[in-house]
Amino acid sequence: MVNLTVDGKNISVSEGTMLLEAIRGAGIAIPTLCAHEAVSRSGACRLCVVEIKKGNRTRIVTSCLYGAEEGLIVDTKSDRVLNVRRLVMELLLARCPESEVLQKLAKELCVESQARFAADTDKGKCILCRSCVRVCEEIVGVSAIGLFARGSQKTVGTPYNEKSDVCIGCGACVYVCPTGHIEMTSTGDKRKIWGRTFKMQTCTKCGKFFAPVDQLKFISKKTGVPLNELTVCTECR
Amino acid sequence: MNIVENFDLFAPRLINKKELLSSGHRACSGCAEVLAVRLMAKALGDNTVIASATGCMEIVSSMFPTTAWEVPWIHVAFENAASVASGIEAGLKALRKKGKIDDRYVKVVGMGGDGATMDIGFQALSGAMERGHDMIYVCFDNEAYMNTGIQRSSGTPMGASTTTAPAGKVSSGQKTWKKNMPEIMVAHAIPYVATVCPSYPLDFIRKMEKAKSIKGPSYIHCFSVCPTGWRCPSQMAVSMGRLAIETGVFPLYEVENGHYRLSPDMPKKLKPIKDYFKGQGRFRHLSAEEIDKIQEKVTVEFNKLKEKEKFLKIGN
Repeated sequence: MVNLTVDGKNISVSEGTMLLEAIRGAGIAIPTLCAHEAVSRSGACRLCVVEIKKGNRTRIVTSCLYGAEEGLIVDTKSDRVLNVRRLVMELLLARCPESEVLQKLAKELCVESQARFAADTDKGKCILCRSCVRVCEEIVGVSAIGLFARGSQKTVGTPYNEKSDVCIGCGACVYVCPTGHIEMTSTGDKRKIWGRTFKMQTCTKCGKFFAPVDQLKFISKKTGVPLNELTVCTECR
Repeated sequence: MNIVENFDLFAPRLINKKELLSSGHRACSGCAEVLAVRLMAKALGDNTVIASATGCMEIVSSMFPTTAWEVPWIHVAFENAASVASGIEAGLKALRKKGKIDDRYVKVVGMGGDGATMDIGFQALSGAMERGHDMIYVCFDNEAYMNTGIQRSSGTPMGASTTTAPAGKVSSGQKTWKKNMPEIMVAHAIPYVATVCPSYPLDFIRKMEKAKSIKGPSYIHCFSVCPTGWRCPSQMAVSMGRLAIETGVFPLYEVENGHYRLSPDMPKKLKPIKDYFKGQGRFRHLSAEEIDKIQEKVTVEFNKLKEKEKFLKIGN
């Protein structure tokens, strides 16, 4: 067990716990966008910042990536933390002014869009948190999408923005996206995602379109379950 | 949260893994209601306080001196789960104002069975919703007072045989139609009303998360199959829930500020309710004419809902 102090409260957590879980476990709210328990952490949204004190030195860290340490003094509400968080929020808001999730969060943090940060128009709702990329790699296991280009031009998508051959159209990236940037439309026997149209499989029992054919082929290949067993939807199985 | 439309296979791996209703409780085998409670707890997360009316879920989860709950949970009488939940909400607000508790956001949830919601606790619920407390009320509807021995409630459907509305030579089970509770809640003009079923877990979790994100009163009506009381095999609980949705007996929809949306899980063409009645002992005695009468009512109600969705679509 590791003992540490959070906002004057003494808590002990098991070794290897990240500060974010330790602080939330103590009942203190920390906003985040990119931390998801199912995938590895990337510390991309920077909203979970806290101030830590070790000896005489204080510094700002992202709590989702910083492991709890013995004797650490954590402050989640100091002026410095709130200033940093507010600035991060202002920048996120300037990048994606149209995102409802960000607008709501900004309101909660009492942040308004700033005239000094010109609003972007070409970034959609993407905050480049890499959640979708990590899910595609770690949960689905196909790595169909990634980040490309650098600096202000950095965007998420399939390589060279071309139709991806490895994408299976499962939609896990849409599900995990915290701001709702990725677009997916399912109409009847077609599902459109990442610029490619997937053919949907009909359930052999109930006749409902339930998953892209490519996805079922992928699962069949990975698990060894014959494809004709997978063409029955999860509800009829 | 985005709309879960035919998400399969990978999305379930991304939902909350923490169990807030521990195993080892004493629900009957095949209980769909406890499955629903578990999904509810998963969707709501740690920062929740629950006020639970008397009923199955109280009996099975809190056998003294044990408890299955990992979140603060208060057992109250049959009639006042909603009033206690609204009291907790007001109390938390006062304590927060005084700086006595942490500033995290805590969702207050009232829960009860169909009897506790539609009959005994009805006026308390109506009052709490009207006052606009920031809370969720979840009704776990298994269509009778199952915990005390299958007595009829106003949630019991027409024709079902219960111990206080038994089928026999003179009577053919319940003589009245099921009270349309979600519609009554819509009439309270609250921000969010939804119907859910644990046979559709992703839809369930999405609706629960939506209710959680709304600052104001919301009502969730959960259809929970009770194999013991419905006289059906316990392994049929999940498929029975699906049949109820596919036959239109219990349509899945949500109402946001008076605007309707049918769930994507709803089939385009409904199955005949015979399929749903077939597997249940409580409908065994019904004659073909009686089933036709019930079928007509179900079709009318479903068409009514579709019309409402057409004219009061979300986004219009």
